[in-house]
Amino acid sequence: MQYLLPEILVAGSALLGLLAMVVVPKVRGLASWVVLVGFLAAGVDAATMWNVTPSLIVYNSMAIDKYGITVTELVLLAGISTILLAWNAEHFGEEFPVLVALSVLGMMGLGGATSLMPVFLGIELLSLPLYILAASRHTPEGGEAALKYLLLGAFSSGILLFGMALLYGATSTLIFVAYPGIASHAQVWLLWPGLGLVVVGIAFKLAIVPFHMWVPDVYEGSPTPVTNLMAFGTKVGAAIILLRILAFGFYGQAGAWGLLLGYLAVLTMIVGNLLALPQTNLKRLLGYSGIGHAGFLLVGIATHNIQGAQAMMFYLLPYGLAAIGVFAVIRLLEQGQDGDRGVILSDLQGMAYQRPWLATVLIVGMLSFAGIPLTGGFVGKFFLMQAALFANRPGFAVGIVVGTLVGLAAYLRPLQAMFQRDGVSERVRTMRWSAAGVMVVAVAVVGTIGIGVYPAPLVHIVSQSANFYWLKGG
Amino acid sequence: MTLNYVVALAALLFMIGAAGVLIRKNPLIMFMAAEMMWNAAALAFIAFARNYHDVTGQVMAFLIIATAAAEVGIGLAIMVAVYHRRHRLDIDEISELKG
Repeated sequence: MQYLLPEILVAGSALLGLLAMVVVPKVRGLASWVVLVGFLAAGVDAATMWNVTPSLIVYNSMAIDKYGITVTELVLLAGISTILLAWNAEHFGEEFPVLVALSVLGMMGLGGATSLMPVFLGIELLSLPLYILAASRHTPEGGEAALKYLLLGAFSSGILLFGMALLYGATSTLIFVAYPGIASHAQVWLLWPGLGLVVVGIAFKLAIVPFHMWVPDVYEGSPTPVTNLMAFGTKVGAAIILLRILAFGFYGQAGAWGLLLGYLAVLTMIVGNLLALPQTNLKRLLGYSGIGHAGFLLVGIATHNIQGAQAMMFYLLPYGLAAIGVFAVIRLLEQGQDGDRGVILSDLQGMAYQRPWLATVLIVGMLSFAGIPLTGGFVGKFFLMQAALFANRPGFAVGIVVGTLVGLAAYLRPLQAMFQRDGVSERVRTMRWSAAGVMVVAVAVVGTIGIGVYPAPLVHIVSQSANFYWLKGG
Repeated sequence: MTLNYVVALAALLFMIGAAGVLIRKNPLIMFMAAEMMWNAAALAFIAFARNYHDVTGQVMAFLIIATAAAEVGIGLAIMVAVYHRRHRLDIDEISELKG
């Protein structure tokens, strides 16, 4: 049971934070501290487990391996950045950090899941607090975002569940790591619809075109720290569980799903980035950009080789770091005049001259999204391209190039707005730095450039963690 | 083959639920339809569990019921909050976010 200590620490910090809120209501922000310490402790504890012998626990339902540990660290990073972006912001409500901790717990559970039962529980545990968090600001847009997220979430979970039921009917077990031996002689008329529905259900969560339409509205309406958690954490959770289910549970049938997912990936990359082009609201632009990046992640799954799995694992960190950097910029701008009104492109006017440091963060984040060399995003796209070519799928590589080019235009528009000389917008003038915000942007910028210049350590980590095929023997 | 009939019923319920979510405009009805999809899955799980003499499917059905209850609690709270502000619930009218 000591292997589940990171999960226990996060769950414990959520409960303790709830308790602290009730017992000492006079100390403001105590729950944030409790949850932050819990996240850090869980991160350290997960890191010490790095060299543990991989094993299956809880009746083969959870795996303890480097894959799960890497995912744990990634979602903890998302959780910590979310807590820091909402630091000292009492209007989000006292329970904000507690809900973030519960959502992160669900994502951590997804990382280790080897059975469909923890997959379902993990996805629900990550979604349910997010529905509340989306509405936590009590604005009309927040309510609308929460309602749309809730309806689409319930709908997609229903699809996922029915798919799981059919897979259970086809194989008589929910433990998907046992599927490779069973799937070849399972009942086909249950197996294929089941797999299809499960993939569609997860594609909704991952925002793959054509299941993406909820993303921009939800991203725009939700408070910025919550959007940060959705964009980074949810994407990590959905992508890694899709990889583990498909690349492990159904590797025998890869010929059937690989190409289909590849088409979806190319469609998602191009459509997501194309729709990002005309956006003026920065959060909405990031929503469409998140759709595009989901397409890039999907390429790594669709290639179905070890390079693809590694490239996808690699891509998650530069994407996440760039996302938290840009969301931190939005959050800092929101701390100026007009509060929670969405940050639009004209709000960035003159930022490059008035606030050069803030502008630098936005430049680094956007260039990493676009995949310019010397940023982490470039290295990530390079590895994905390599994986596509190794898999002998030049079409995927062409899709990556086209998607990147379209994305480049979309990401340069905010930068262009930032460099406009005629006047400085009120928002840029009145924005205030906060210590927590500075910490987030520092990590984001240093991490993004660090990975871009010297990717070797991260390559080493993902090459070990994407190697989850040890399950085959067990 | 009673299993086939039960699974067919579950599939029918699932499709009615999915159609309900896609066609209806009232979020409350859409939410009910989504819950119907969940219950269709629970029914299929129980049918398969009985067929295989395996308890996992029944456990899953209980988990579905418990999670659905949590989701309904949160969902109705959000809908009440939205209704308080607008005094109408129509998914086409709740559309300040567009693009």
